Amino acid sequence: MMRVDPLVHRVLDGELPPEVLTPAQRVELERLERAATLLAQVPARSVAHRVMAEVRRPVPSLGQRFARWFAERHTITITIRPAWSLAVAAVLAAIALFLGRGPAPVLGSEEGIAQFVGRFPGANSVEVVGSFTDWRPGAVVLRDDDHDGIWRAVVVLPVGQHEYMFVVDGERWVTDPLAGRYVDDGFGRQNALLIVRPVPR
Amino acid sequence: MTLGRLAALWLVATAPLAGQEARARLAGRVPSVALSALDSIVAEAGDEGIPTEPLIQKALEGGAKGALAERIVAVVGASASQLRRARALLRLTSESQPAGPAEVTAVAAALSRGVSPQLVESLTVALPGEPTGPALHAVADLVGHGFTEDVSVDLMVDAARQGFRGLRLLDVAAAAVLELQRGESRAMALARVHDMLPNVPPPPRPAPATVSKARRLAPPSQRP
Amino acid sequence: MIVARILQGDPEAFGLIIRRYEAGLLRYATRMLGSSDAAADAVAEALVRAYRHLAACRDPERLKSWLYRIVGNRCRSHLARRSSSDVSLDDAPPLADPGDHEADTERADQLARVERALGTLSSEKREAFLLKHVEGLSYEEMAAATGERIPTLKMRVHRARAALLAILKEES
Repeated sequence: MMRVDPLVHRVLDGELPPEVLTPAQRVELERLERAATLLAQVPARSVAHRVMAEVRRPVPSLGQRFARWFAERHTITITIRPAWSLAVAAVLAAIALFLGRGPAPVLGSEEGIAQFVGRFPGANSVEVVGSFTDWRPGAVVLRDDDHDGIWRAVVVLPVGQHEYMFVVDGERWVTDPLAGRYVDDGFGRQNALLIVRPVPR
Repeated sequence: MTLGRLAALWLVATAPLAGQEARARLAGRVPSVALSALDSIVAEAGDEGIPTEPLIQKALEGGAKGALAERIVAVVGASASQLRRARALLRLTSESQPAGPAEVTAVAAALSRGVSPQLVESLTVALPGEPTGPALHAVADLVGHGFTEDVSVDLMVDAARQGFRGLRLLDVAAAAVLELQRGESRAMALARVHDMLPNVPPPPRPAPATVSKARRLAPPSQRP
Repeated sequence: MIVARILQGDPEAFGLIIRRYEAGLLRYATRMLGSSDAAADAVAEALVRAYRHLAACRDPERLKSWLYRIVGNRCRSHLARRSSSDVSLDDAPPLADPGDHEADTERADQLARVERALGTLSSEKREAFLLKHVEGLSYEEMAAATGERIPTLKMRVHRARAALLAILKEES
């Protein structure tokens, strides 16, 4: 990148008068000032009418908005399949992290537990890859000990937010369908967003 | 020496370190042609005091997912812009004390989930002195299930007035979502949770047998 | 004083604020977004929001920076929804120069070159350059409008100047 003389910056910032500049520096100054002048043209457009129309419209009060919500129908029908109930419970456990009352690993004040559950019948391997593994595979491997197609792992993670995906059979990246929170990864997929909570004392 | 000057010196001293650390962690994990550009983005972010770990993580993610070099650079650049937006919003709305990197990262994630800057401002004003991250994620959870931003913010404010703080706000949002999943309309789900306050239960604890199976991850140096 | 009048229940007085600041806000949004239609939407929404939340502008002396802040937020949200924050200004129609009724080809060419150069800057540098050199905000006003610290803004303005000069030099 081209370097601009600090004196030119100081003149443009109003700290020094232009007289301190050499002719070559003045050329740079004038080029930038000319660019700004060209950009300073004012648009031949107005939004005044539009804005004043909104300003003149009365705004409903909070109570009126709430009442409107009650009056409107917002029904939603969800069929809860029996197989989902296990998954829903597991997702709630993954979102809220608490130490159980029985024997448990000794956790620091800035650590919690996350439970990962995924249904992948026919898979040979399922792992979790995410921010807590530095996006490396192999650190969190799920197990399906009873071969029912439901893969599980429970890990200790630092408190805070984490993003992850499942990787099935070493190559297929799958968004956790039961995570409940998602964020676009920027690469065309969605990461699950996990918020790990500290263990209550 | 003033605190401000010390902080500026610290930033200057660590900025080259941020760049070096980025290169060391990214070498071999992202296409080599992307290294220099990624280095610049991380160094510039470090100069401005923006958290750099999320940027390094995003680059590692792109490499792991097999993205092209240009895409990785573009996405990491966009992440840096999002972090800047988050920090600027927190500064504008919360003059009392500067937001830490975790708070900036949490707000950036909430913005990425579609939470509007206006909502960040509304929540910060409504819940002064509170870390905004958990409340924003709670609102994002509700909006993701079709509740409007306005009623979601109202619920958080009501919950905060009744003593809910930080991550407990996530439980309030989860309670509303659970009512929805039980077949209630959004209006009824909200009404039930408003009525429930302050007795919104925490989520169920995992069974002790499950907890005892929890494994720690190996430190990064020992991972495959 | 205008702010006080509006808060006391004279909404028509908001028209004075629009008249005073609209042109600069539209110009700024057009340069940020590269589209006069998108800019008009952003500025209209921002002004309506400003009216509804006027009480939140704690210091009427800082009304200008406050308005630029709201418009800036809208522009940033709009840009975040695009896949890249690079703006192509090819779609932006030339802004009218009321002082020149005849076609000025050389001036139009120069403006096109500057617009192209501006479009290559990151959104943060573009914003900093526009607020400083086109909208004429002081660094203090820019800090109030963006939430960024003055040293950070100075760094962005300096880098924007360097980048623009390099491109303009190459093209000439």
